[in-house]
Amino acid sequence: MVGISFVRVLRNALRNFKRNVWLSIATTVIMTLTLLMMLFLYFMNVLSAEVLRGIEQKVDLSAVFKEDVSESQIETLANDIEVRADVEEVRIVSSEQALELFRQRHADEPFIEDALRELEENPLQPSMFIVATEPRFYQTIAAALQTEKYAPFFEQINYDDSEPVIAKLITFTTGLRNVALITTAVLAGLVVLIMFNTIRLAIYSFREEIDIMRLVGASNWFIRGPFVIEAVLVALLSVAVATLIVYPTIQGVSPKVGRFFFSGQVEQFDLYQFAVDSWLNVVGLQAAMAVFLAVFSSMIAIRRYLR
Amino acid sequence: MITFKNVSKEYTAESAALQTVDLDIPTGDFVSIVGQSGAGKSTLLKLLSAEERPSKGEIVIDGWDITRIKRWQVPHLRRQIGVIFQDFKLLPKRTAFENIAFAMEVGGSVTTEIRETVPQILKLVNLIDKSDMYPNEMSGGERQRVSIARALAFKPQILLADEPTGNLDALHSWDIVQLLIKINKLGTTVLLATHNDDIVNALKKRVVTLNKGKVVSDVQGGTYKL
Repeated sequence: MVGISFVRVLRNALRNFKRNVWLSIATTVIMTLTLLMMLFLYFMNVLSAEVLRGIEQKVDLSAVFKEDVSESQIETLANDIEVRADVEEVRIVSSEQALELFRQRHADEPFIEDALRELEENPLQPSMFIVATEPRFYQTIAAALQTEKYAPFFEQINYDDSEPVIAKLITFTTGLRNVALITTAVLAGLVVLIMFNTIRLAIYSFREEIDIMRLVGASNWFIRGPFVIEAVLVALLSVAVATLIVYPTIQGVSPKVGRFFFSGQVEQFDLYQFAVDSWLNVVGLQAAMAVFLAVFSSMIAIRRYLR
Repeated sequence: MITFKNVSKEYTAESAALQTVDLDIPTGDFVSIVGQSGAGKSTLLKLLSAEERPSKGEIVIDGWDITRIKRWQVPHLRRQIGVIFQDFKLLPKRTAFENIAFAMEVGGSVTTEIRETVPQILKLVNLIDKSDMYPNEMSGGERQRVSIARALAFKPQILLADEPTGNLDALHSWDIVQLLIKINKLGTTVLLATHNDDIVNALKKRVVTLNKGKVVSDVQGGTYKL
């Protein structure tokens, strides 16, 4: 009985959709745009968090050892610095590793490879890369390396202050996030209005059937169900369309995004891989938002026009 | 048994559609309800199908007090009460068969039951050869018979007929009344609200006369008198 009733309600919902097909399509389009905007917001949040993490974890402080510093001395110095409370990690890059990294970075510049071949010895010295617990500590650590205790061992200390970059990035992403949030909210408002009107028109075009349904004792669920399900169908269709747009788009832009934001990092963040791994979140988030908007707007229309 | 106990219905403070109506209608009875326009005939029927709620009093159908019936109980009540109207209320884009099947679908009947029952009902109302016709291809009398067939889909205990012959000529009107008598003989209580004095007089059944919302006469085997 419940099964039959559900099948009939579903069939009526599909008929509603077909009877006002253009309006249904318009609702689907606007709902899809809203979901795309929401997904943009979602991926932007993920991306900006990754970029910030990358910047914060990027080796901001490096110190090149003098040629005569022995391996055991390097080890002692590294242990000494690593125990500092403001130091998160100390990484030693040997001259061989440095050469390898240098080669990788200039792989598409053949003349550099030629030049390296001409040199018989490795021109690069070992170095030490320091990651601070917080970006603001780099200045203090750099100052410590320049004191009498450490200065004799180092040939050069390279230090970039990333704090202003981080601050700028945070300001930029916050601004972008606010714009995306407002756009999503406006689109969601439009979805509610359009969906409300779609359901209102569907109710209007089915008024004869509805009158007769009431007359012959149809349950409230049988009368109202098709309109709610029609709205949910539009929502799910929008989720499918938005997902079909988003994944190929991310696949297309992901390499560029990677090159732009994460070049030079050992573990490059792959946005497409992230999107694939978190497909359940991506689809679930959309479905939750779309179904909520659909049910909310259709319930208002039903309460108002199907009392 | 249908019981109206001291029932009043006021749409506004000044106008009462029904005033302190007391009425007992035994199961299987055929009652004509007569009165001028605005006398309260339709209101009386609407109270029985819970389209309206009484302002005062109590309405009981077979021990079920429907006076304060809950919203969710209304569909259950309506499946026990068939209603037909002057304007037939048929779906124009569905055939006679589909109009009846629609009512059964709505009520949750399974498809095999619908396929079996609809032809039986169409046979009862003598429309089996017109089951594939649309309402606009039928005469008024035939349309009203489809409407009666639809009302019978759930084998109701009570049939409410609100001016069912109002749009029909004398011949078709009599045709419909004959059908109502047949349905009544099968055990269904019939309440017929009508203006048609010829029909009421020919029926020789119980006649309840309403005037300004009050029962002014209730005579077994009565005639149409205002």
